[in-house]
Amino acid sequence: MSNRDNISPRILLVDDETAITANLAPFLERAGFLVGTAADGVQAVEQISHLKPDLVILDVLMPRMDGRQVLRQLRQQGDWTPIILLTQVGEASERAMALEEGADDYINKPFDPRELVARIRSVLRRARPGQPPLAAAWKLVCGSLLFDRRAHRVFLEGEELTLTPKAVALLEYLMTHPDELISRERLLETVWGWDYPVGTRSVDTRIAELRRVLGDDAAAPTYIETVPGEGYRFAGKVEGQA
Amino acid sequence: MKHWLWGLLAVTPVMLCGLLAAVFWLGWLPNRVAYLRADLGTIFLLFGLLASGGLTVEWLRWVREERSHRNLVNRLLAESVSERHEFLRRLDHELKNPLMAMRAGLANLTGTELNAPQREIIESVETQILRLGRLLTDLRKLAELEIRPLDCAPVDMSELLQDVVSMTEERPEAEGRHITLTLPQVPWPLPPVPGDRDLLFLLFHNLLDNALKFTQPGHKIEMRAFEDGAWVVVEVADTGQGIPEKDAMLVWNELYRGENARGVPGSGIGLALVRAITERHNGQVFLRSRFGQGTVFTLRLPVYQK
Repeated sequence: MSNRDNISPRILLVDDETAITANLAPFLERAGFLVGTAADGVQAVEQISHLKPDLVILDVLMPRMDGRQVLRQLRQQGDWTPIILLTQVGEASERAMALEEGADDYINKPFDPRELVARIRSVLRRARPGQPPLAAAWKLVCGSLLFDRRAHRVFLEGEELTLTPKAVALLEYLMTHPDELISRERLLETVWGWDYPVGTRSVDTRIAELRRVLGDDAAAPTYIETVPGEGYRFAGKVEGQA
Repeated sequence: MKHWLWGLLAVTPVMLCGLLAAVFWLGWLPNRVAYLRADLGTIFLLFGLLASGGLTVEWLRWVREERSHRNLVNRLLAESVSERHEFLRRLDHELKNPLMAMRAGLANLTGTELNAPQREIIESVETQILRLGRLLTDLRKLAELEIRPLDCAPVDMSELLQDVVSMTEERPEAEGRHITLTLPQVPWPLPPVPGDRDLLFLLFHNLLDNALKFTQPGHKIEMRAFEDGAWVVVEVADTGQGIPEKDAMLVWNELYRGENARGVPGSGIGLALVRAITERHNGQVFLRSRFGQGTVFTLRLPVYQK
């Protein structure tokens, strides 16, 4: 795994449904990854220590040891192998739990396999070997913008900002996925909890609120960039603090 | 029966009999026979006390029954909500793995060499799998809506309704429909409503969406809002085909599709969502419809109290 540029990234796919691993593994292989599979949490832990994969895709509900336990055990041992958890984190309580768990990303079944490939690539791009991901940092800093995730408070140049709960959650998601193009549909699914037909408009409303409060110019953004027809991207450089 | 009525009923005998007793004791009668007066007075007072006591016991019994009845109803309601929620959660879990496997399988096929007819088949299967997935999401959404906490804040109703209407007008399905929105301006605009703006948006979107589905080009759709005491009332009216009487009560149930809804695209979730969102906002929603003439949905939401 030392020479990342020349070797295909190694992925461990963990799911107790063989119908899923049997169909998803070849798809990921064609997308250019080396794929191993495991059928439950205990197997997953063994494989992770043997194979040292570059990334693990982990289902949550599994026999013997579920995905959350696997994740917790790894993180407690200081293992920061990037992990994409197959679950939904729509609600504030679940998001808080997800943060404590320290997964790098979440995706809800049934998903578009191409979307999974895109997520894998962006998680791998963001990952810094052996270091905790932004998703596991309690404070996010971008220039004079500070996001305190424990208290759900946002500060700009030391001044606390007044934001609606949805705008706070949206900013949190954008800041933990910097420099990544994120579609409105994905924001709806992960921040709002469900993707509904008129929801994209709600996303635009909250983005406008964030820009207004952050004093960000949509034409020359410091923080949130619009990618016309595709979605949004957090343009600033984000550092995580414990 | 009301509490005040019971109270009145319970004190009436003792008051009346007390008055009579006083009349006898104080000798306000024309025929002054002292011992009879005193005895009759005591007898009346005792009778009044007994009657009032009896009525009070009945009152208390009624209160207890009422309370236990209400507790039972609440418990049954809560149980049925949590049972339904549990059922939908399990359904969601059991269906999403097979759906996931199918999507991955199809994605594999798409990556192989295929001729045009094969590609067409795969596309149509994919469309159906997506449809099933959407139905699953909708059902889960409905179940979650009943239990998840709301992001509550005062919502500017005028702005919200304008937003929903302008978005509906832009939709291709709205072609040829005359959509009007009437909002009060004087002496003051609509007061705000406490709620989750995104959910309220979805609610009005679904009502307008429903109106679009059951109207033809040339038909009218009116949205009108006004303040009525502690309520904001919004009506969505259309000159569409109307709902047959036997369907009117059932349209609120999830997955229910009226006879005249066959052939109209939809999953039967839209109005169930309207009902669920309204209930979570402590509002009321009802409909009046005449088959062949049109339908009016009336929605009442409580005004925001500071």
